[in-house]
Amino acid sequence: MSTASIAVAIISFVLGTLLALLTIPVLVWLERRIASLIQDRVGPNRTNIFGFRLGGLVQSFADVVKLLLKEEYYPSHIKMGKWLFMLAPVITFVAAFLAFMAIPFADTLIIDGEALRVQALPIDFGVFWYLSISAVGVLGIIFGGWLSHNKYALLGAARAGSMVISYELALGLSIISFVLTYNTVDFNAMVHFQSGTFFGFIPAWGIFMQPLASIILIIALFAETNRNPFTVAEGESEIVAGFMTEHTAMKFAMYFMGEYVAMNTASAVIVTTIFGGYQLPWIDTKTLLENFSIFALSLIITLPIVVFIMIRWMKKNNRVKSTLSSDGGRNFETKVLSIILISVTLSIEATLIYLAFVAQNPLANSLAIALFQIVIFVVKMMLFNIFFILIRWTIPRFRYDQVQKLGWYYLLPLGLFNLFITAIIVVGVSS
Amino acid sequence: MSQNIKVIPRPSNSLRDKLYLPAIADGIKVTFKHLFKNVNDINTVETLRYPEEQPSDITTRYRGLHRLTHRKDGTEACVACFMCATACPSNCIFIEAQEREDGLDEKRPKSFFIDTLECIFCGYCVEACPCDAIRMDTGIFSLTGNSRKDFVMDKERLLSHKGAFSEEVSCARG
Repeated sequence: MSTASIAVAIISFVLGTLLALLTIPVLVWLERRIASLIQDRVGPNRTNIFGFRLGGLVQSFADVVKLLLKEEYYPSHIKMGKWLFMLAPVITFVAAFLAFMAIPFADTLIIDGEALRVQALPIDFGVFWYLSISAVGVLGIIFGGWLSHNKYALLGAARAGSMVISYELALGLSIISFVLTYNTVDFNAMVHFQSGTFFGFIPAWGIFMQPLASIILIIALFAETNRNPFTVAEGESEIVAGFMTEHTAMKFAMYFMGEYVAMNTASAVIVTTIFGGYQLPWIDTKTLLENFSIFALSLIITLPIVVFIMIRWMKKNNRVKSTLSSDGGRNFETKVLSIILISVTLSIEATLIYLAFVAQNPLANSLAIALFQIVIFVVKMMLFNIFFILIRWTIPRFRYDQVQKLGWYYLLPLGLFNLFITAIIVVGVSS
Repeated sequence: MSQNIKVIPRPSNSLRDKLYLPAIADGIKVTFKHLFKNVNDINTVETLRYPEEQPSDITTRYRGLHRLTHRKDGTEACVACFMCATACPSNCIFIEAQEREDGLDEKRPKSFFIDTLECIFCGYCVEACPCDAIRMDTGIFSLTGNSRKDFVMDKERLLSHKGAFSEEVSCARG
């Protein structure tokens, strides 16, 4: 174990934890703002710290404070299994959180001839890890609903159980198709495979190579995260809050956060498996390393354009209606944020210029590329999270027997058919 | 019996509908259009930014906070007949009568209280008043205070409220 390997391991663990935990408030904020914008409303945008609203993002932190300070109410009718009742939300949260740990955020770093994975858990069987750990999450829902000694909660738990048998088979079959195609169970090797092309010009992303399996995977992961249109375990109109009816304050928050971490994990898995992970299409890490100056130059040109568009958008939208007399500090906030953005951009530009034209240090170059890949990964993941949210506010819910019908009558035969075709093609190509 | 049965054909049973996904794509198109429009310019959203922006659509029939109308000489139009207090379903009007000295009428209210915490803003007092002395046309819709006392309106405060639309003088006791 060298110093570099320890440093990379610690940094990637911290990065994974932060990516999983810090996206929760961002996702809650995104969910609420996007919901309101889709419905032509404004959404939460008032909470501020010293006049800084950040477009309403501060609201999420206020919510966290509220949930932490709430009275911890414990239903007195629960006599047996108190500890499991308290533990159940933690199971859901931890399962979603641990499943995220197997996702690679950047390509394997090679320092002094030592290959170091930028992965919170440096394992090469990520698919198995993800499948086994994320399936445990539903246990938390079932335990929580069952031990609540409440009819609604029990019904919610039963529905969650019925969900598992609906989607798990289809999910497994579609993932087996990917495992056959990529010939690996390692997420990082999957991303490597996808950086190539097929038929000469199409990027070898899963969505182009396995369109059917990709659709099944996306549908199954929607079901796994308990998101719309598959929110059967809770339903305000029929079973109140479902499995979490009796859970209050931080116990509820655990379920709530677990749901968002699970959504984040699902997005990360989808991005890694079928959208090329941390890589841009057509460009793999080797190409980037060999042509570092071209890469740096194109980034130096693109970054100011992106920042310019962002600042213009902020100036246009971070202001009150023209009919209002006072602007409530919006202009000041825009100015400060613009200055921060511009200074960050300038420092990045300076670093890139130094790296590309002065330093010529291969280690620093590969670190810069790793950072760039992390940014790409986060952007892709957030885009897919936004897709999750968009779907939630687009289509109505399925009834839980309809989910089972969908899983067993349509997704399972389609998955088997796809697996069959994939196997034939893989054998045909390799022989 | 069978003639009463009317078979209604399903609106559409095409392959496109059975596939679900094209319909979902159509739905996403609609929601994304709204999302893009509003992200592009948040100020097209027709939400009233309330504390800064005040509503402009309060009509003359809107039942706002009460006021007592005046006569031409500036005194109150109320004759303390207790009609409003009698009509009030939540018993929130408290009047004490007194003899009127200037000869315009026989009585005037010595004190006139409306407990707006009890008031349900039904407007029966306005309907009941025979001399147009109480009205709800101030257009005041937001009533705030720091204590319960702040919400009990006395005669002076009710007289000080201005009408948002019409004349200041009572029609019946002008």
